[in-house]
Order: sequence, then C-alpha cells, then structure tokens
Amino acid sequence: MKFCKRCLYSTSHPLGLVLDEEGICSGCRVHEEKDSLDWSERWSKLESIVAPYRNTDGRNYDCIVPVSGSNDSYYIVYLVKERLGLNPLLVTYNRYFNTPLGIRNLANLRIRFNCDILYQNINPESVKRIVRSTLQRFGSIYWPILAGQSVFPVQTAVRFKVPLIIWGAHQGLEQVGMFSHLHEVEMTRRYRKDHDLMGFEADDLLSVFDTLNETDIWQYRYPTDTELCSVGVRGIYLGNYVRWDPKAQHEKMIDLYDYGSSSFGRTFDTYDHVDCFNYMDLHDQLKLFKHGYSRVTDHATREIRHGRLTRSQGLSLVRRFEQEKPLHLDQICQWLGIQRRSLDFMINQHRNPIYWHSNEPGEWSFHGWSTHHPDFNLEDTKSSQATTFMATASRELGSCNSYITIGKGWPC
Amino acid sequence: MLRKRLIGVVTVRKGWAVQSFGYRRYLPLGRPECLVENLDRWGADEILVQVIDRSSRNLGPDFDLLMRLGKLGLETPLIYGGGITSADHAVQVIQSGADRISIDQILHNSPCEVRRMALRLGAQALIAAVPIRFCDTTWLRHDYMKRQCFPFDDELPALFQDRVVSELMLIDWQNEGNITEFKPEQLARLPFTEVPVIMFGGFTKPSLTRRFLDHPKVAAVAVGNLFSYREHAYQDYKRVVGSVSLRPPTYYG
Repeated sequence: MKFCKRCLYSTSHPLGLVLDEEGICSGCRVHEEKDSLDWSERWSKLESIVAPYRNTDGRNYDCIVPVSGSNDSYYIVYLVKERLGLNPLLVTYNRYFNTPLGIRNLANLRIRFNCDILYQNINPESVKRIVRSTLQRFGSIYWPILAGQSVFPVQTAVRFKVPLIIWGAHQGLEQVGMFSHLHEVEMTRRYRKDHDLMGFEADDLLSVFDTLNETDIWQYRYPTDTELCSVGVRGIYLGNYVRWDPKAQHEKMIDLYDYGSSSFGRTFDTYDHVDCFNYMDLHDQLKLFKHGYSRVTDHATREIRHGRLTRSQGLSLVRRFEQEKPLHLDQICQWLGIQRRSLDFMINQHRNPIYWHSNEPGEWSFHGWSTHHPDFNLEDTKSSQATTFMATASRELGSCNSYITIGKGWPC
Repeated sequence: MLRKRLIGVVTVRKGWAVQSFGYRRYLPLGRPECLVENLDRWGADEILVQVIDRSSRNLGPDFDLLMRLGKLGLETPLIYGGGITSADHAVQVIQSGADRISIDQILHNSPCEVRRMALRLGAQALIAAVPIRFCDTTWLRHDYMKRQCFPFDDELPALFQDRVVSELMLIDWQNEGNITEFKPEQLARLPFTEVPVIMFGGFTKPSLTRRFLDHPKVAAVAVGNLFSYREHAYQDYKRVVGSVSLRPPTYYG
C-alpha cells in the first residue's frame, strides 16, 4: 500500500489509484486540470452538446435529471434550468432511510426550481430482503439505493423517450482521476456494475443459496442495449464542463435557494448526504471496516486538492472523525427486523483483516490508512477557516429521528 | 473472404484494467472481467486481454484472471497475452478459456519454443505481438524489457514464412493511447510478406482506422482506451469507421 504524497489516498483505493514517478496520484493529477482548463470554452462545448436535445415543440422534456434531497442536486438543477435553459424532468429514487431535512430539501428543490418530478418507490419488503442479503454477502446496506438511483433515470429515459440524462460529477474522475475531463466520459452500464454495484447487477444477486427471487430484483434491471440504442440514451456529466467544487457550489445554493445542511458525527462536511440517516452512519462504518478508510478521508482529500486544507490538517480531521460511533443502528435493526446482536455479527464479518486485528472477542485494533501516515506535526483544525462548513439545520428538523419512508412534501 | 475485425483491448496491470498511454502512464478503470463482459455484450469481433506486467515480474500467465473470464460464458473469441514463456504455458492458457494467445518476448528469446507451441496448438492460435517504430524508411522492433529498439533479425520472418504464427500485431507503443503516426503505405516496408497484420496503438481516429482496414495486408485494428468512455462506444466507433469490410455493429440484450 503506497500513499500519494499530496493527498490522503492510497493505492488500495477500491476504485483503483495509480501513482506516477513523482509519487502523486492519478486523482491529484486530474484535479490539476481544474486550474488549467479553459472553463468558458468547456461551457461552450456543453452548450453545443445539449443543443440538439432541446425539445422544439414543447411536448416533451429536454432531459432527465436525477436528484435527491442532498449532494449536488440543487447545483445540477440550477445549471440545467437557469444556466442552460433546459426543461428537465427530475427523477428521484426513494431510499427509505430519509431524514426530515432530506424530504424538506427535495420538496424545496422542486418548488423553487418549478420542475416536474417523478418518484420511484420500490416495495419496502423487497428492499428489506435485498438489504439483508447484500449486508450478509458483501457488507453493503446501500446496494438497492445505488442500483435504484443509477437505473431509474435510465429506465425513465427509455420509457418517456427522453434520451439525455444529466448527472453532476463522475465519481471515478473526481476521486481517483479515472478519466481526464477531456475524455468527456459518459454514463456506462459497465461503470455502474463495476463500481456503483460492487460487481453485482440485479440478476447477479439471484442465487440458489439466497431467498431473493425475480420479483425482488426485476425493478433494478438495466435497460437492454437495444432499448438504449432505440432512444439514443446518453448520460453526460456536468463535471466535465464545469469546474466542480462541491463546497463552493453548496454554499451558493444555501445562499440562493435555501438548501439545508446539517452536521454529522463522522465528518466535518455538512453539505453531503443530509438526506439519509445511514450514509454517514452505518454505511460509512462499513466502508471503514472493508476498505480501511471512510468518507471523511474523501472529504479531506477533496479539500486538500482544492487548497483549503493542508495534508496534516486533513489527517487531523480524519483521525478526529473516522472512529466516531454510528448513531442510528437501532433504527436500521428495527427497519430490517433483526436483532442488534445479529447486525453486529454481520458487520463484523466484513472487517478486512488487513486493517482490523481482533485482540480479544469483540475487541478490535485498527490499522487502516490513517494509521500509516507518520505523526507529522498534526495541526489543530478546530479554529481553521479552511474547515468552515455551515450547518443551517439538523437532519431531524426538530421532529423524531425515524425514517420518513414516504415523504409527501414539506410546507416551505 | 473473411471480414476484417475491430478488436477491443483490455490492458491489465497489477490486477486492474487500466487505460494505458504509451505504456508509460496509466489511469485505473476497474475489474478486467467487467470490461471483457461489456465488450462481449457489445458484440466485439474479438477481445484482446493483455496483462502487461507478468513477463517483467516473471509471474507467468494470469490463470486466476483466465478462470474468472472463463466463468463469463463469452460469445466473443478471446485473445490472451502476458507472461507466456513456454509451450506448456500456451497450452494451459488455451485450456483455461482463451481462444488464441499473443506472444512478444518469447518470439525473440526462444523462437524454438514458439514452434513447439504451433505444433501443439496450431498456428491459428498464435499471434506475434511486436511493439514497433518506423524510423526513416525502416521498421524497428522495440524490446520493452531492454528498453531498446532493434532491427529485425531473420528469426521472426522465418516464423511467418514457416507459418508458425497466424497473424502479426504491430503495436505503435509510443503513441498508444494517443494518435498513431503510422501510415498504411509504410506497411510495404515490412520485412515480412504474406502475413496478415493487426494494427494496435493510437487508433483513436475512425478515419485512420478506415484507411488501414482498406489496406489488403491489414486483417484487424485493435482499440483500447476509447471503448471505456461512453455507452456503446464500440458500436458507434464501428459505425463511424463505416468500412464494409467489418461486421455491422450489433445491439443485443
């Protein structure tokens, strides 16, 4: 395992990471393009790409935009509607782990931007069966969400014959420099299976050794190549044409459109994932168990690359946050219908022995990424301006901390 | 007469499928089996899996990878290259699921072993992969282990004359991942005749691919990085190439 000399990522990154002869990782190298590319020229390119998809008779949408109650949804819709002047159909997949703040953000999004929106709600019993299976088999409670979020827009594009899907940033490009901005990488089924779904498409979940059946998974099937080709479905990433900076973008959206943010126990970032009780909770803990690092490392690396944190500040933040205990384990046990001991047993099965050593039953010592860096002069980050992230609300919004499984809207 | 082929290339390094740029710079892509499965679904004419760090690390062929590829139930002919140093290796690679093998170092280090491979497997299973440069008016082969270019000796032409290998893959290693500087007219200067040629390295421009496919010596063009950038990249590339010598693009399930 080798580390980048600039950020906090290692060559063990699950998306793949390569170091060049100077010891700088592919993610940092591609990030350098953000300061060298002519972004006005890139914007012009984007305009020329979307131009043929504008609906001339007003009888259909110009594009599909996948959204949620957090992440970059506000900024994406802002670019699509206000800057590009397109008429989007918003689509959202119900993840069931919804926070009141997430439901409020999503309602605020569709109202403030005045957009049509489609919701997909897969029947909860099937979702629970899938989550129990994927938690046991490969330590993920998020497979249905990742599968649903990535396939529902494509299914909608085929059904409604709206070929263009507009996404925000490409995860592989932003994290590990999997592609240059100039490659103009687009959405592919291959990337979805390989990385979003950890190598398992819907049909790959069916097994004689499992209880899942066709009725549980058929909704997560990707359209066929014939269907995609007949409509001309194409998914582009705004991050290839816009200098992507999530912190700055979120702050702009808080200012202009009242996006709601919230603090977390396991990271300093208050803008991402506010719509889910489990992403920065059990899901993040499972990432630490399996891969030896967690989301706070992604956030710190991002801020280091944007020049808002030094490497030692980033490492300080990682060490401060990554071992914080999840807060919502009882809720997921209740939702899944399993005992807390069963949950603990299942998640401990997925502790990677490279990063976790069991000293005694039930006791573990951590040897993950953050333990491999030398204890260089770790900086106090509490008063650092560089780590100022606004929390404008709480995820519970003053109500209870139960999942809002179906959010009907929010008075705004 | 057989149609010409557009080969999808998956480059593997340290167990990961990568984009390669001049075999000097790499960007990660993902699991090799996911890329191969994808090319298979897209109806590629042939798939080449080149594992580029097996020979230099003396590891032999990547049989684990071949086993995983074998489980995919591919419909597409599969070429495997990387770490093959003996006839036994070659046989095991075919037994593990590959349809043909691509060999480089062994062509020059041990041509008699190549002849043994042909005796056991048949010449149709063997492809000679030669990284190459065109300097002034001469083709030079590049030895990536020694990092030097050499003129062709008599051994390689003899392998072709004796029909020990079926095809010659010319690799523009310097421009791989970029745009090749080769021209079809330069093929007349090859020191071998009568051997079908596969062109690889820097074929990002469909118009250039078309020109090479129109050349009578060229049996196939191989393309790598480009097929990972968008959905149906293979079929769209074929359509833009527009050569009647290629099988039409297909869209299956």
